[in-house]
Amino acid sequence: MNQHALSVQDLVKTFDLGFLGAVPFLGPGITRRFQLKGIAQRVEAVRGITFSVEPGEVFGFLGPNGAGKTTTIKVLMGLIHPTSGQGTLLGAPLGDAQARARLGFLPEHPYFYEYLKPLEFLDFYARLFNLTHRERKRRAEALLDRLGLTYAKDRPLRKFSKGMIQRIGVAQALINDPALVVLDEPMSGLDPMGRKDVRDLIFELKEQGKTVFFSSHILADVEALCDRVAIMARGRIRSIGGLHELLTDAQSPVEIVTRGVEGAPREALAALAAQAREASGQQTFILESDAILESFLDQLRAVEGARLISVIPRRRSLEDLFVEEAAKADAADIQAHEGAPA
Amino acid sequence: MSQIFAIALNTFREATRNRVFASLILFAVAMLLLTLAVSSASLHEEVRLMKDIGLFLISTFSVLISIFIGVNLVYKEIERKTIFTIIPKPIFRFQFLLGKYFGLASTMLIQLIFMSTVLALIFWGLDANFGEEMVQALLLIYIEVLIVIAIALFFSSFSTPFLSGLLTIGAFIIGRFVDRILVIRLASKDEMTPALENVKTFVKTIAHIVPDLSIFNTTPYVVYEDPIDWSYVLNGVGYGVTYVIILLFLASLMFTRRDFI
Repeated sequence: MNQHALSVQDLVKTFDLGFLGAVPFLGPGITRRFQLKGIAQRVEAVRGITFSVEPGEVFGFLGPNGAGKTTTIKVLMGLIHPTSGQGTLLGAPLGDAQARARLGFLPEHPYFYEYLKPLEFLDFYARLFNLTHRERKRRAEALLDRLGLTYAKDRPLRKFSKGMIQRIGVAQALINDPALVVLDEPMSGLDPMGRKDVRDLIFELKEQGKTVFFSSHILADVEALCDRVAIMARGRIRSIGGLHELLTDAQSPVEIVTRGVEGAPREALAALAAQAREASGQQTFILESDAILESFLDQLRAVEGARLISVIPRRRSLEDLFVEEAAKADAADIQAHEGAPA
Repeated sequence: MSQIFAIALNTFREATRNRVFASLILFAVAMLLLTLAVSSASLHEEVRLMKDIGLFLISTFSVLISIFIGVNLVYKEIERKTIFTIIPKPIFRFQFLLGKYFGLASTMLIQLIFMSTVLALIFWGLDANFGEEMVQALLLIYIEVLIVIAIALFFSSFSTPFLSGLLTIGAFIIGRFVDRILVIRLASKDEMTPALENVKTFVKTIAHIVPDLSIFNTTPYVVYEDPIDWSYVLNGVGYGVTYVIILLFLASLMFTRRDFI
């Protein structure tokens, strides 16, 4: 059986917030039973998502703010309990200690124990993995060296810059030489050099055969790094797949350039296309999707004297897809609200 | 075990590198030295006064520091999101909580030993006998501190530091006066109304739940050099440890269910 590096199935997370909601055991029950508004409120952060990440993949997890990305990651990391649904990490159910021993995680905007020096800091995390003293020291020194922090090893973390904090954060995520690395917005708040460092590091991890799962807003980085991506909006997965298939799927527009198509046949073909224009004796037709490409080409072949110059699938950018999916999710949500009985 | 030790060591480091902690201890030592000046003004009662005030200061400062750090132990990790990097590691949540507890418990032990040493040096300077009863009293103060830390950790496993602080101080004050609350008389038999009866039941129920901290105060025996039996001390240790285990169990139960948003 193929073992996923990470997977979730029908994952739902609803938060019970407010004064009562936060009380363990009693709060959520009281909220549900008496539907107390104001004192306690419910927020559906993740609304039934299913996806998996395969071993050795670099997987990008995208979505606008408030899409539910961080909540999903927190469920996977055992920081919050799912309302329903399941998940696996390295083939084991969520929460399995052996699987977590092979996991590395860097949260969004990390903050660390500022009174510790880098070697003490890494030693602390290494102890959580039961490593021997010698091994802890060796790994901590190697990671400081690899992330270019050796020069700052005698400084407490409170004197670290934001970029240095991010790098020491990456170091703690790699202290156990993990098989799966989960990074929540690893590039956020970094300058271009810092972003390049993180990008290089992800490439390096991929070369070592590790699985990398990361969420990001910076689409250029995602396009450069990922084998597959998932786009999440309003608590649901809107698109998932290889970057190539997502960006040139059946809905992608196609641009057709011809010569010698004039008069009535040109009008007939223009009626099929979303846009048509003519310049320098060439006709350009843009079809909304490649679904009607065959019938368009059949009609074109029937036109006497017509020459086909080119057929170019117009590749959408990841940004187009991202914006499109976010807008669709918003529209669906508004419709659901309007359709719901008052 | 390695995980609990790692968390405990980190908690110890955090507390001992905290400037507020250091200044509180310095203040307590200064107060002890000031007591020396005051007690020398009393007529031939220096040692008794030194014992009384010394134990009071050590106990009060230890409890205050325990509450101050104890209610923030878990909250700070959540607020600063440092817990986000710890929970995904191969560690159970109860191990994290125990690590925090032992970290503060060992910090308080060092603090107590330090202050006791200062007190012992003052005794040596006064050419007075520190005595077995002083050691017993200090041991019982430490057990009381262990209970207070457990109470603070229990409340802070599900509420804010401010509320946990108030609740812990409340439990501490009730605990110190349990023996008196249990024999309280609200009104004479004729004037007893059902409402007063309910208040009495409520107060007594609370007093039964809260640990009786009055048993850890042996200052009157120490001052009058009336030795306490070691079996009393051991009973106190057993009583305290039982309360600590129950409180840590309940705190773990709450903490395991919690979402770290």
